[in-house]
Amino acid sequence: MASTELLPRGSLQPRPRAPQSGPLAARYELLMELVRRDVRSRYRGSFLGVAWTLLNPLIFMIVYAVIFGRFLKVHYPGGAPIVFILSGLLAWTFFSQALTMATNSVVANAALVRKVAFPWMLLSVSAVVAALVNFVISLLLLIPFMLLAHKGIGLPMLALPLLIGVCFAFSLGLGLMLGAGNVYLRDLQYLVNLATLVWFYVTPVIYPLSLIESKFSHGLIGQVAHLVIYANPMTWVVEGFQDVFVFDRWPQHWHGLGYSLLVSLVSIWIGMLIFNRLRRRFAEEV
Amino acid sequence: MAELALEVREVSKRFRIYHQRSTSLKEALVERRRGRYEEFWAVRDISVDVPPGHSLGIIGENGSGKSTLLKCMAGILVQDKGTIVSRGRLASLLEVGAGFHPDFSGRENIYLNGAILGLPRRYINAVLDEIVGFAELEQFIDNPVKTYSSGMYTRLGFSIAVHLDPEILLIDEVLAVGDEAFQRRCMARIRELRSEGRTLVFVTHSLESVRAICDRCLWMDRSRCRMLGEVDAVLAGYRAELRAREEAELAMTEAAVVDSSPGRDGFRITSLGIIGPEGPTSILNTGDQVTISVGYSSPAPLSGAKFAITLLSEGGAPLATVRTADLETADLSLPQEGTVRLVLPGLPLLEGLYRLTVEVADIASGERYKRLDGVQPFRVHSEGRRESGMALLGHSWEFPRVTEATAGR
Repeated sequence: MASTELLPRGSLQPRPRAPQSGPLAARYELLMELVRRDVRSRYRGSFLGVAWTLLNPLIFMIVYAVIFGRFLKVHYPGGAPIVFILSGLLAWTFFSQALTMATNSVVANAALVRKVAFPWMLLSVSAVVAALVNFVISLLLLIPFMLLAHKGIGLPMLALPLLIGVCFAFSLGLGLMLGAGNVYLRDLQYLVNLATLVWFYVTPVIYPLSLIESKFSHGLIGQVAHLVIYANPMTWVVEGFQDVFVFDRWPQHWHGLGYSLLVSLVSIWIGMLIFNRLRRRFAEEV
Repeated sequence: MAELALEVREVSKRFRIYHQRSTSLKEALVERRRGRYEEFWAVRDISVDVPPGHSLGIIGENGSGKSTLLKCMAGILVQDKGTIVSRGRLASLLEVGAGFHPDFSGRENIYLNGAILGLPRRYINAVLDEIVGFAELEQFIDNPVKTYSSGMYTRLGFSIAVHLDPEILLIDEVLAVGDEAFQRRCMARIRELRSEGRTLVFVTHSLESVRAICDRCLWMDRSRCRMLGEVDAVLAGYRAELRAREEAELAMTEAAVVDSSPGRDGFRITSLGIIGPEGPTSILNTGDQVTISVGYSSPAPLSGAKFAITLLSEGGAPLATVRTADLETADLSLPQEGTVRLVLPGLPLLEGLYRLTVEVADIASGERYKRLDGVQPFRVHSEGRRESGMALLGHSWEFPRVTEATAGR
């Protein structure tokens, strides 16, 4: 009667001691395990699975290309409007998805946070890394459209890791703040949805930066819009992507990119400070 | 002296109890959330040392702060005052299977849960079969855990936890959920850890397991340390307190008040009492010598009265009745007032709440002088006994022997 066997088999055998990883290695392993979970759980149980990662930006790209390219006759430099829109859109999708996922990362794991002590920060980090994995997969979408537009792959592609790195760092910094803050203030998740929606329009994804420079450099509203777009770290990341994919050239706005990098690193620093400060009451507030 | 494994110094932990659970932006901005909660000290000024290889039991009633203290030790909560220093790899087991992902298979969850508890992946690779075997889930390991029964779920969680290799282990009583077999496994594993010389801190309601496992015991009472020291002394103090509280509770019940109004012919029952080995009480242990005393008064001396006392179960079912009428010298002549005592040399009742029914009647006419029904509630404890049910049976077993004639078959 195996089913009613009460005592565990082999419970008294000497058990091998579990090898211990150093704290850094252990954190890395845990992070990878959490990323695996976050990436998989996103598609588990959905019929189209990974295809959603591609379908989502594809649909939006078509909508934007039709409305802005055809109806509103926006002139996209570089002769490949679809590649132009798509390259910025993918970067933007990564950013907004990372923020949304990171904002919920701690709250969504409430059961775990209440019962197990581990570096909870990894929950938010893992959310951003999972978004990064989705982003890298979604980059495949560019290939057919670049081929159609006769765009080649050149040396400037080497700038991609830097561009992705800046985008990742910025998402991570904001993600840490939002993930920790959302434990105390659940409205943050709705606020983030709204904010990314607005933020999207002050990032030159569906219009070229040159359009702003030529048409909106006068008047108060123009000046403000100018300032906001220039101060937006995502502007320079998106510009960089368009440079690489549309123009096959190295990013042109090195100053802007340097500024974005600086803002990103500062945001990580502040994010970690905030997270470490707020985590003290996570287990009781979550 | 060797360095302490765990050093807890004047630790206090405060919780905020919100009048209205509101974590919305509107309230934060408009109504100013500050000041809208009350503070509650769940742990106050606790200091305790645990040397390496020792084990500490933490006992106390629900809400006394034991689990909060344990969570502070684990680093899940951060104390508001005091310091906690731990030396050595520390693992806490407050819940088995915490963080299982319902959509993931058992196998995937082993890796995930293992990583959260700090087991390296390559180590899990090596012991995966052992974990699966221990949980007895070979056939189901690739099914999502949401399809598991709660028993399977706990078994899997525990099998993973068994492979932890901490120097200091903090365990909460929630481990004591699950069936008896599961609890036995937990206890076996805890004993094993203990014999391997690891440091243990153990929160529990089971006083027996504290006695079996711990060197020292901390008794928490309303957030504070009530007693800290040798297990036997603390347990004795704790038991005495529980008993006193129970007694006080029983004394508060309506049935505990003796109805001394006159019955037929002015006969009254003036008092009713239970006397245990240590004097009057309402808390008894199985096997105790127990005396039930019935005080009465009557306008005239009684001739030919009969007394009957019935033990009732909590539900009111009569368990046993004893009568003076059954005595060979049934012709009782009693003074106007006095006390009749019934002595039970060994109380044959098991764990539970019981009551008494007392009846006094005239032996010749059978007419009742007075009857008290379902009164004098008392509680019986039978800690450490294996029998179940209500009555204790004196018994012995006999078995067939293996002989040459039967062994070969």
